[in-house]
Amino acid sequence: MRITYFGELADITGKTAEELMIKGETLHEVISYLSSTYNLTSNDFCVAVNHKLVAMDKDIHLNENDEVALLSPFAGG
Amino acid sequence: MVDSRYTRQMTLPQVGESGQEKLAQARVLIVGAGGLGNAVLPYLASSGIGTLGVIDGDAVSLCNLHRQVLFSESDIAFSKSEIACKKLSIQFPAIEFKSYSEFLTGQNALAIFRDYDLIVDATDAIDARFLINDASILTNKPFVHASVYRFQFQVAVFNAHQSGSYRCLYPLSPTNRQTCAEAGVMPTTVAMAGLYQANEVLKYFLEIGQLLTNEMVLVDTLTNRQTHFAYDTQHHDFITPSFFARTYTTIEKIWLEQTKQIGIFLDVRNDGELPSVTLENYLRIPLTSLAIQLSLVPKNKEIYIFCQSGNRSIDAHHVLIENGYTNVYCLYETAAQINQVNSQIS
Repeated sequence: MRITYFGELADITGKTAEELMIKGETLHEVISYLSSTYNLTSNDFCVAVNHKLVAMDKDIHLNENDEVALLSPFAGG
Repeated sequence: MVDSRYTRQMTLPQVGESGQEKLAQARVLIVGAGGLGNAVLPYLASSGIGTLGVIDGDAVSLCNLHRQVLFSESDIAFSKSEIACKKLSIQFPAIEFKSYSEFLTGQNALAIFRDYDLIVDATDAIDARFLINDASILTNKPFVHASVYRFQFQVAVFNAHQSGSYRCLYPLSPTNRQTCAEAGVMPTTVAMAGLYQANEVLKYFLEIGQLLTNEMVLVDTLTNRQTHFAYDTQHHDFITPSFFARTYTTIEKIWLEQTKQIGIFLDVRNDGELPSVTLENYLRIPLTSLAIQLSLVPKNKEIYIFCQSGNRSIDAHHVLIENGYTNVYCLYETAAQINQVNSQIS
């Protein structure tokens, strides 16, 4: 599935998008995997599945074609 | 008689004389006269918004000038809100400008917001966004949000026409966040974000088009890609006047001897941390797991929080308040001091 990163998360992960080769995972498991891989703190971003923001602890099953976006809040202005 | 300077926009069938009159009657408060404020303000004024309030306690500095185009070198060290209002009132004398040379705080937000129809979030700090959000909810004002990170910006309209709030996107304040000063920003990026905001404000009062309600648009100016993110509206009933006062003013503290016997003493230290404390109605939930064990903490009793030094008590206070607890206090005493007080009493 496709993972996209916005804001500061793109700098932290060093990428704006990547393909994750996992099947039958829940959103919670994917977020846990990404959090440990990139040392992310869950309070510091929100998550969208197919452009719809969702609670990241929800037991949503993801498919290969789903796009998961991680968005950090923007502070500047 | 409407000013002929608005002829070009009044020619639009979506505006007309009635639309121009709606703009003239509108009262808009811009929180922040920085990069976003400098983009929003001139266009709201030039479009004929009747009353524009500007609140910013900051002074102009040299590093502001590349993106805050209302200011010049001779303005350095002077109030941003004063200078912005002064310059715009020369250019747009028919508009009423009101300058507040102070920062928005829990003390002044509600009273100021009540004087306006709509709030523009043009700040550069996430804590201020939560303050604007919660004050907007309590005063029932729509607010137009924008924020910037390097070459990206996001815009949304909250609390308008039953739309959600900033907390629907970010329920809690993040621990890490970078401002423009830390992350860097191009003047064009922040100006585009401000113009998106101004456009939403005009649409709101003209009642035209589709507002960015219940969705947030994220624009990447390097790729010109726009992404819309929808969200479900969640009602945050915990945002009450009491919550607001406790969150944005000071944390209520209490001495052990002032506590009531029926209250709950909440120890938020980790399991095994010493010294042990003996108290009636004692409850130990480490701060790290408090948010997921709230069912153990009764809402109908006063909660007295303590820890080893007092720092975790403050964080726990925030967790409880943000989850709808109202009678929450931090003890002045630390765990060790509680034992000292108890031994003196016995």
